[in-house]
Order: sequence, then C-alpha cells, then structure tokens
Amino acid sequence: MIGLWYEDHEIGQSAALGAHTFARDEIVAFARKFDPQPFHLDEAAAAESIFGGLVASGWHTVSVSMRLLVDGRREQREAVAAKGRGVRDLRWTAPVRVGDTIAFSLRVESMRELQRPGWGLIGMRVVGVNQDGREVCAYTLFALAARRPG
Amino acid sequence: MERLYFEDFPPGKAFAYGDREVTAEEIVAFAREFDPQPFHLSEDQARETMAGGLIASGWHSAAIMMRINCDELFLRSASQGSPGIESIDWLKPVRPGDRLSVRFTVIGARPSRSRPDLGVVEGRFELLNQAGEALMRQQASLFLSRRPGEAAR
Repeated sequence: MIGLWYEDHEIGQSAALGAHTFARDEIVAFARKFDPQPFHLDEAAAAESIFGGLVASGWHTVSVSMRLLVDGRREQREAVAAKGRGVRDLRWTAPVRVGDTIAFSLRVESMRELQRPGWGLIGMRVVGVNQDGREVCAYTLFALAARRPG
Repeated sequence: MERLYFEDFPPGKAFAYGDREVTAEEIVAFAREFDPQPFHLSEDQARETMAGGLIASGWHSAAIMMRINCDELFLRSASQGSPGIESIDWLKPVRPGDRLSVRFTVIGARPSRSRPDLGVVEGRFELLNQAGEALMRQQASLFLSRRPGEAAR
C-alpha cells in the first residue's frame, strides 16, 4: 500500500486495493436506495433490458472501490489521501453481474503542489477488473494529500 | 405522465427538480458501508478535521443525485443507461439538514452512429442546496431511445 503523505507518492506507483464479490441482495439493496432502475432491481425486468440480466448500479461499483481504497489507508485518519476534489473520465465498460468478483487497483498518474500550504493534489487512476480479466470500470480520482510535516 | 425520448432533450433545454432533505443518520450509514473516514462517520470526529463538522461522502452525494435523477427524470424517460461520466467536481460538502435539488442542462445531443434507435445526450447536472448553491457538478452522457418513428426520418 502507498504511504501516508504527499511525499510518499510518485508518478507511476501502483497498488492493489483488494477485491469484492457482488451478492444479489446487496446489488438490489443499493439500487432500492439510490438507483431504482429495473435492470438493478428485478431479474425479470433486467432480462428484457439491454443488459439481459440483473446488474449492479455503476454507483455501487465505484462506492465499493472507495471502501477498499479507504480500508487500505484506515489508520491514516486526517492525512488520508482520499479527500476527494473530483473525478475525470469515469467509464463503466462492462456490467457487474450477480456473483462477479471485482479486483480494484490504483496507479498514481499526476502530482501537483497546491498554493494552499500543507497539501498536495494527487491524481490516481482506479480500475476494476472482473474474474475473467475484463475491465468493468475506471476513473481518475483527484484527492488532497497532506504534506509531510517539517 | 408523458414518456420522454431523445427528441425531448434538445441542446440548451434545462430541467430543475427534486427536494430531498439529507439526515446525519444516512450520511453515517453510507460512510460505514463505503467511505469510513472520520469526517463522514460522526459529528464528534468530524469537528476535529478540516471539514469542521459531519459531511457526506462525495460518492454519497453522487448516489443521492442519481436517486433524484431516477425519481424525477430517468424513470419517466426512455433512459438506456450511461457509458460514463466526463467529470465530477465536489465543490462544497453536503451537510446534515441540507435540502437538495438538481438542475440539468442539455449541452449536446446527437443520434448514435452505431445504434439508429438510440441517441446520446450530453448534459451538465448540478446538485444544489436550499440556498441555490451548487455543491456538486457532473458532466455526463446518457443513452436515450429515439421516439418511435423518428429514427427512420
């Protein structure tokens, strides 16, 4: 796992974030709360959609990636490099279906010191790949990281 | 209510909708599941952070906007999903008690080259608080079915 401070990052550095298996019940529970489109809620309706079966909300997939990213940095508290400013180029390239296991990774793409003292901005590409090696989602997260004191 | 198709989203058209109050409980519940950082987990922990108080995960803000979009627009339109989001900007945090609405402005619209029954709408979605301040901005493309009979013309 990549270290705590802005200075612990370097462009090109990469890390595995771990994997998550998407169970039917959690796919439907997320969709009921946030994305109640038929292809996320109900097998019969999903079978007639362009997906041909029940699929996870894309927002569910990226929320799970955030959990894995935070878990890897849990003890870092305030200095966590996940205080998000924004996202660029978020792609959902293949559906996540019931029982799929998605492995996430990140790669540091850009680093920039900020005018605001004590902080730097890190751009990292987060990618999710299913059990068949197929990419299902990718995005570039821009997050603040604290500069190492002193 | 009339169903909305690709043809109902010409460039320049704007929609404003939604009124949803956010509670501390749902902010914490989302954070426990997906984004367990101190400034999303409890008022006490959050007060000591840069956020100065409990704030929603940016992904929670995005999920709430999706729900408002579904309830007010997508579920009554011929929406066929999204290939992705060009950008998300978290401008200001969502805080407990905020009443959120959405402003959606169509930037571009073109028929799909590969799928004559579909069109691609490019739009800007803004999540607004009760004071009309934009808290999050997204630029996204949507697939929409063309109105039956329009594609052949």
